[in-house]
Amino acid sequence: MAAGLSATQTGPGDSTAGAAPVRRGNFPAAGILLLGLVVPLGLLTAWTVAALLGHLPEQILPPPWIVLDTLLDGIQDGSLLSSTMTSLERVAEGFAAGAAVGLVFGTAVGLSKTLREFVDPLFLALSQVPTLGWMPIVILIVGIDEGLKIIVIGWSAFIPVVLNTSQGVRDVPEAYVELGRVLSFSRWSKLTMIVLPSAVPSIFTGLREGLANGWQTLVAVELIASFEGLGYLMAYGRQLFQLELVLSAMIVVGLIGLVIHGLLTLAENRLQRWRPETSR
Amino acid sequence: MTGPVAISEQGRGQSHALEIADVSKRFSVAGRRVQALSHIRLAVDDGEFVSIVGASGCGKSTLLRLVLGLDTDYDGDIRVDGHRVERPGLDRSIVFQEHRLLPWLNVEANVAAALRQSGLGAAERGELVRDHLHLVGLDQFAKAYPAQLSGGMAQRVAIARALVTKPRFLLLDEPLGALDALTRLRLQDELQRIVRHEGTTAVLVTHDVDEAVYLGDRIVIMHPHPGRIATILPVTDAVSRDRSDPNFIRLRDEVLSWLGVSRTGIDADAELARRSA
Repeated sequence: MAAGLSATQTGPGDSTAGAAPVRRGNFPAAGILLLGLVVPLGLLTAWTVAALLGHLPEQILPPPWIVLDTLLDGIQDGSLLSSTMTSLERVAEGFAAGAAVGLVFGTAVGLSKTLREFVDPLFLALSQVPTLGWMPIVILIVGIDEGLKIIVIGWSAFIPVVLNTSQGVRDVPEAYVELGRVLSFSRWSKLTMIVLPSAVPSIFTGLREGLANGWQTLVAVELIASFEGLGYLMAYGRQLFQLELVLSAMIVVGLIGLVIHGLLTLAENRLQRWRPETSR
Repeated sequence: MTGPVAISEQGRGQSHALEIADVSKRFSVAGRRVQALSHIRLAVDDGEFVSIVGASGCGKSTLLRLVLGLDTDYDGDIRVDGHRVERPGLDRSIVFQEHRLLPWLNVEANVAAALRQSGLGAAERGELVRDHLHLVGLDQFAKAYPAQLSGGMAQRVAIARALVTKPRFLLLDEPLGALDALTRLRLQDELQRIVRHEGTTAVLVTHDVDEAVYLGDRIVIMHPHPGRIATILPVTDAVSRDRSDPNFIRLRDEVLSWLGVSRTGIDADAELARRSA
């Protein structure tokens, strides 16, 4: 009797205890992905239906199957692929340079009040100028070759990385700084054991913003001064009024952005394994 | 043969292990000057366990910060073996009220962090870390992160981190103040065992009078506004380390009355008589 009672009591308890980790571990990831697909799929359906019913003139918004055709053609004849590689390379180089310099500069500015007082006003003013505003001057100095793209993309990634890194470095809890003093930490130990780990969330916010900026700038700079790349493809498609070309380039840019964003989140979570799972 | 001579010399020696000589400290708070510490004089000998009790605001934590060398802007002198304290050093360790473990390092790495500037080799460090995790009973949790530990466990890690450098002085700033009552009692025993085992000289700041009496060889009672030493009571051997011993209770009540806490309506001796009946 007592055994039976305890068995019925532990039975449901066990099953819920067993179910909880499953829900937590697998369901949300898949669930969020599915939920995230609801709106795009809805829009796609509306677009398809509208196109089928002839509500959308083809010149304004080509039907999805034509966009898909263009996309597949571009992959097959290699033109889309080579444009993508060109653009990826530009963003990778510009972002890597901008983010690397931004991390070092942001850390230095965050650590040193003197340096901050020196550069803050100028930097804040410069960062207000849209990247495109710089282009005429940069073109005059370096021309319109690869250097231009890398500099402009790098600069647009640099700004958010610097701002967020220096903020993160300044926001290191005073208690940890004091601990570093008590343990007689060297500057290097303080930086690697306390300051940078504590600034990881801010740094990643900066990197994400920098990367998004980099992509936007890429498209802008390729619209103006390039004969290849995804941005060029968009400009070209617009001029020829081939909106399916524009749309397929947009899809590629969006998908690559999603993948890179996911990789950054993965890297951040890996660096922050110590956080309790619920707060991730 | 030379042992007793050495000991008696040390006992009589003019420089104490730690000497706080006429220390005063003023803060500027919102434009007003506040006297945090006034003419503190205290000498601590090797191997001693000194408890400092007082109401909040009596400057007892400030005093520990000065001994640590975190703040050198004060009047008077704080000397270790006759040398003025100029900066923090690995000879003085502290356990704060909050554990202050670095959340991104696991238990092992947190303890090892204290050895970064020690100049020891990796093998030696690893052994010290293992020994001290064993000392606080956390061998099994070497790879756990602070977020996975209970408050009491985290504070044990903090104690291990403070002792792993084999410091001359262990400074304890209300180390058990944030823990629940049961954990606190358990850790008091453990602290006593560990400090004896390591032979460290300890200065404990607390507002828990029981804790001060239980752990201290001497009890320094401080009064606030300005922070000053009211008296220093020795904890004689007659007071066994038994919280319900009459001598323990008598000393505790004496400390309480120094702190201005009157035991309304109940005479201490009557209470003792009632308890033993």
